[in-house]
Amino acid sequence: MTTPTIVSDFRAGLASGELLIQNCNDCGKPNMWPRYACPHCQSENLGWVKSAGVGTLHSFCVLRQGAPEGFEDDLPYAIGVVKLDEGVQLGVRLVPNAPGDWSQYNCDDRVEFVGKEPGRECATFTRKAG
Amino acid sequence: MSEKWQLHVAPGAANDPVFIGVGEIPTGKFPERGFIQQLSKVALLAIKDAGMVPRDIDTILLIPCLHGAADQADLVFSRMVEELGIHGSCKSSYMVHSGGSTSDNATRAAHGLIATGHAHNVLVLQSERWGSADLSEMITMLSKNGIPGEWELPTGIQFNAIGAMITRRYMHASGSTPAEMASVCVTLRNWANLNENAMYYTKPLTVEQILASRMVADPLHAYECPPMADGACAFVMTSTANAKKRGITNAVRVAGTGGCVSHYCLSQEADQAVLGWPVAAERAWEQSGWGPQDANFAEIYDSYAAVTTIAIEGLGICAKGEGARWFAEGHGNPGGKLPMNTNGGLLSAGHTGVGGGTALLVEGIRQLLHRAPDKRQIENCQRAIIGGSGGSYMDAQVLLLERTKLGA
Repeated sequence: MTTPTIVSDFRAGLASGELLIQNCNDCGKPNMWPRYACPHCQSENLGWVKSAGVGTLHSFCVLRQGAPEGFEDDLPYAIGVVKLDEGVQLGVRLVPNAPGDWSQYNCDDRVEFVGKEPGRECATFTRKAG
Repeated sequence: MSEKWQLHVAPGAANDPVFIGVGEIPTGKFPERGFIQQLSKVALLAIKDAGMVPRDIDTILLIPCLHGAADQADLVFSRMVEELGIHGSCKSSYMVHSGGSTSDNATRAAHGLIATGHAHNVLVLQSERWGSADLSEMITMLSKNGIPGEWELPTGIQFNAIGAMITRRYMHASGSTPAEMASVCVTLRNWANLNENAMYYTKPLTVEQILASRMVADPLHAYECPPMADGACAFVMTSTANAKKRGITNAVRVAGTGGCVSHYCLSQEADQAVLGWPVAAERAWEQSGWGPQDANFAEIYDSYAAVTTIAIEGLGICAKGEGARWFAEGHGNPGGKLPMNTNGGLLSAGHTGVGGGTALLVEGIRQLLHRAPDKRQIENCQRAIIGGSGGSYMDAQVLLLERTKLGA
């Protein structure tokens, strides 16, 4: 099955160290996850902008067992939901404070994009210093 | 949104749809019990409880199973019509599906079909084989429900991770302690200990045991995660006129419903500690004229404790932020001020996939028909709040049900 362009574009961004947000070329509003038609104005004229990569951690968890197939070797790992300052949200992986330890994270922490893990087509975030 | 949410069927009118019977078999691990066998059993129990024979059923609404595509196809393609011997007379048989909230939507579907005359006697059927399924297959399958494969599956998210994130956000927003969260599970277990059909009928549970169990997905301990189970249940609805013709004197009607689909995947939810409950509740109160103080008990989706505490706050059963402490104070317990999930819920009666919500609805109907076993029957109960949610808690669905006396 061919990967849709909006998926391959987003992943190409991650691979080059950029977090891309879909942006509507007509109404100018950002969309995440990317859509096939703008949910705000229904335009199909959609493009990308580079996110500043900074936001707030709405919630997160540390999965310690029961990984889906293909993720078993990642355990334990932390998944979070980030509200980006641009006004859109996405699911991410979180970098541990120390191996296997995410105890310094709290809801509403400021977090920033750091890239992606090898083989994982999702953004990775970490706690923002200060 | 200016249009009022009004039911176009009058209480007690000839076309007012009513619940008249339920059927259920024990929930747990029953590898020897077949999928279709479970369905046949609960269908016949519900039909008998309604005072009917299979030939009386003209419409079957199927609640899906999630354990396998072949069994699901059997449901979609009307196998139960043949199994019940009503082929040639049954008018229609089809599936309704919105995950954990399916039973709420199936009720709306049956209600509409009966009120408008598309159906006379509707049988709603559910069966699931999660307890006997391969666990790793189930985890992988469940990492695709309410999770966009291209965007979110790459994080390694699955159902316990979703429940854990909601729990963490809820604990952060409410200041609830781990012990207060665990008390929700204890309340459910107290009810399960009164339900012979519950997976944990014979096993008590304490807050201390929960907090000592291993961490599965911080902040969720193992005993705070739903046990996957085999189970099946069913109910029958008909019109008030048909019920009266059959000499039925007491039934259960729908006073109103409300719903809100607040997201598809959890990452797009605006506030994980709120979800769609306040909007769903407002619509249900408007349609029924009730408020939260009018119910005698509630049966609200509980695949994780926070799912229920968020719901009772949105419904106004307790003050915002006080849901877990409401349970810790014992208000949902047997003998409490608002008995909650009186079958033991998904967390203690057993999580039968889409069937967990159906089992809560069936328990609500059974209580209102005054047919629950004595030890857990809520004396003379008249009104219930039923709450459901599907997928990654994508929706909040509220059914307000009331016992009704059918005149001569």
